[in-house]
Parts: sequence; C-alpha cells; structure tokens
Amino acid sequence: MNKPIVEIRNLNKTFKSDNQTLLALEDINLSIPQGKFVVLIGPSGCGKTTLINLIAGFEKPSSGSILLEGKPIEKPGPDRGFVFQDYALFPWKTVLGNVMFGLVNNGWKKEEARERAKEFIHMVNLTGFEQNFPHTLSGGMRQRVSIARALAYDPKVLLMDEPFGALDAQTRKHMQKELADVWEKTHKTVVFITHSVIEAVYLADIIVVMTARPGKVKAIIDVDVPRPRKYTEEHYLEIREQVLSHLDAEIEKEQMQHPI
Amino acid sequence: MNNNSAKATLQSILQTIYPFLVIGVIWEVSVQLNWMPSSNLSSPSIILQRFIDVAFMDGILWKHFLSSFTRLVIGFSLASVLGLITGALLSMQPLLNKMFEPVINLLVSVPTIAWVPVLLITMGLGDKTVITTIFLGSYFVIVYNTMRGIEIVDKNIINAAHSMGVHGTKLFAKVLIPASFLSILTGLRLGLGYAWRALVGGEMLSAMIQWGVGKMIFQARFWNDTATMIVGILIIGFSVILIDQVMINYIEKITVYRWGMVNQVEESNLE
Repeated sequence: MNKPIVEIRNLNKTFKSDNQTLLALEDINLSIPQGKFVVLIGPSGCGKTTLINLIAGFEKPSSGSILLEGKPIEKPGPDRGFVFQDYALFPWKTVLGNVMFGLVNNGWKKEEARERAKEFIHMVNLTGFEQNFPHTLSGGMRQRVSIARALAYDPKVLLMDEPFGALDAQTRKHMQKELADVWEKTHKTVVFITHSVIEAVYLADIIVVMTARPGKVKAIIDVDVPRPRKYTEEHYLEIREQVLSHLDAEIEKEQMQHPI
Repeated sequence: MNNNSAKATLQSILQTIYPFLVIGVIWEVSVQLNWMPSSNLSSPSIILQRFIDVAFMDGILWKHFLSSFTRLVIGFSLASVLGLITGALLSMQPLLNKMFEPVINLLVSVPTIAWVPVLLITMGLGDKTVITTIFLGSYFVIVYNTMRGIEIVDKNIINAAHSMGVHGTKLFAKVLIPASFLSILTGLRLGLGYAWRALVGGEMLSAMIQWGVGKMIFQARFWNDTATMIVGILIIGFSVILIDQVMINYIEKITVYRWGMVNQVEESNLE
C-alpha cells in the first residue's frame, strides 16, 4: 500500500445557522494514499462537498485535523488543485491565460509558463483553442480547461467536486474516458466527488461510500479492475453492485427518516 | 458589402441628426416669425454664428473648454483611483464595511452642488474648490458600484484564485477588479456624468475662476447673451456623449463584451 498523502483524523464539521446547529460530518477518519484515484460517493446531503472543501482549505474543521504530507491544512494553496462543478474559469482570460494563471502566480517565468500551459492544453485535447475566451466554449471544453489549469502547476493532490455534474450524458461519458487517460499519464493523487456509481467504478482505485446526515464513512471499497476499463466487464459489474447495495441501504434509511 | 455598410453608417448618422434638425427648424421658424421674441432666446442661426465666432474667429471657446477639461481629468482621475481603492477595502474588510457603508449610502444621495458653498469657505474661490466638487461628484458613485461589484463576484472564482495561492492585493488586482469590471464601468460611467454636472456648477459659483465652460455660460448672463449660453450647453452635451460613446463604449467592447459578461443583442447592427 502506498503511503498516505492526505490524512483525515477524527474530523467533525458543524454549521451554525440562526438557532440550530447542523452536524455535517461526524468522526471522519480517512487516508488518501499517494498516487491513487479516490472517489467519494454518497446520497445528496452527505457532506461530500463539505469534506472536499475542507481538504482544499476553503473551510475549517470544527474539530479534528486534516494533514497534507504530515502538515495540517490551514488555507487553500497551490499544493492542491481544485476543479469546480461550474468550472470557475476566469472569463477575462483566454484558455491559455487561464492555464497560465496558476503558473505565473507561483513564480514561473512567462515564457516557460506559456510552454507548459500549451503542453497541458494539448493533453486535454484543446490545441487550437488557446486564444478562445471561455464563454465561446462548450461545457465539456470548459471543464477540460479547468482540469488543465489545475494540473499545470503540478499540485500534490487534485480535488474534483462533481466535475462532470453539469454535462450531458454523452459528453460526460467522453470526459470520463479522457480523465482516465490523463490520469494514466500523470498518476496524480485524485479526490473525486460524484453521485454516479457508474462514474465512480469507472474511475476509482478506491471508492469511499458516505452516509447522509451526518456524513460518515460507511464503506471503503478497493476497485481492482484493470485499466483501461470497460463498462460491461464482469468484475466491473460486480463492484458496481457492491457500491449500489451500500448506497441503496443509505437512501432507504434517508427516506425512512424523511418520508415524502 | 462595403457599399452596404457605408449606407448603413450614413443611415444611422441621419437617424441621429434627424430629431435635432426638426427641432432646429421649428425653433428657427418660430423666432423668424416672431412667435418667440429673439431678445429672449436666440435662433439656431444666431447660435451657429456665435459658435463660429467663439470657436474659430477668436477661439476663446477652446480656452474655456480646455480649462474645464483639465479640471475634469484631475478630479475624475483622483475619484476613480481612490474610489476603486475605497470600494475594494469596504467590500473586503467586514469591519470597515460596517463602519462606513451607512456613511457612503448617505453621501451617495447628496446632490454634489450642495457641497459647493461649504467648499467655497473651506477651500477658497478657485480651482481647488471646483476640482474637489468634481471629485465629490464622482467619488461616491464609483465607491458604491465597486463595492457592490466585488461583493457579487462568484465565490468559486475567488476560491479558484485562492487555491492557486493568490490572496490579498494580488487577488484584488488580478481577480476582483476584472471579475467585477461590469459594475466598475457602470460606476465610472455614472461618475463621469456626475463629474460634468459638478464641474459646471462649481465653475459658476467659484468667483476666482476665469476660464471654463460653466463660467462662459454664467458670464453670458451679464449681456443677456443666450446664444453663448446655448453654445456652452451644447458643447457640454457633445463632449459628454463623445467621452461616453467613444471612450467608455470602446473600453466595454474590448473588455466585458469580449469576455462574454454582457448578453450581446443585435450585434450585426453594430458592425
């Protein structure tokens, strides 16, 4: 087993609104091993976005700790790349400008940054679109820019918050394949959020199933299906069933608590 | 194709001039037929004659205009720079915001001309007063729009910048300003309009001022010279339109329109 790069210990997160406190995450303990593709999956409201925001440093834990290479995470930084569901590209920058942004602002010389940005734009198959502004691109293309932007400055961990959630089914399937290809090339540590079981089993080395309200880790499943994966392979289908049964139990429980 | 676009340009120019021609003709005719006494209001032909006199014969119009314009540039530039900084501080520092937002809300609604008597006492009767009036006229509306613009920047845009290690003044210059540029431009555009108003009022009331379009209009009163007044009024109108339509529209075209921040309507008509 690879040694962990991110360690989450006894993590709790509560949100306070006017007169009530909501326990979003309860006693999370999780190790993200170096170089692995980890997918967090769970019913909506299970706090998976909260968890990834905590790793990114956008929010602070209420108690417990998150360590990146042994050091507690205090604020966002370029040692973690983030890919947002709504892309969060800078509309005033071209594709090239967006991908260069993280480089130029972290000490790269302009010329070198441009070369490196071009490499990553090529890697996500967007060569020829360097001078386009984001609003002229389709959703799938924008998300590819966002992935190139987050990978270019070589973060230790890539955090992806439902990156394909806003795409249509065809584009989504295509993007899953492209991401799998990119990952094969880089072997970057990835934390990926989704609520699609198909997507999770297609991409993950490790699937973390979470419970809803409060969010806890329910099961950790190793996906030992060889890559490149096929959606119809027998072992792939077995693991899919396994994840589904965990999730079904959760969704049933959820509906017992909050009947329609 | 070229012929067509030339035709379209000509048509749009005619469309702009047309209402002025109609008003001009009615005005001229009613003065000529003595429906309106020419001692009270000069006819367009006399105004045109006066314009030619002051603009080309003795050229004093340009001296007036240049004095006004210089004051405008100084006052408005100061207001823009300080307004942007104040707006950014107020939107980024919750404590400052709590303290000063009510003050800004109050001052943004005070007509600038109301400041002039105060300034005449504290700053004297000269340029300082006029420039300060211009500053006050545009400053608050720029602060207000910058502040609101930055407050509504998408949280994820800021998070994206944070995750690339961009914070503080770097965040302000490289992310918050361009992300809120539409609001900022609105503030600058309104500010510029208010600045002109403040300028003319300030010049009229500051006794030590000799040159300026406002002064030109005000002084013409001693000779019952409505023609000069109207030349001044038109010059103000045209220069505001020129700055607004040419300069700010151009800035919009190369920024917010290019970045897809504005829904483009009838672009084919503009081309």
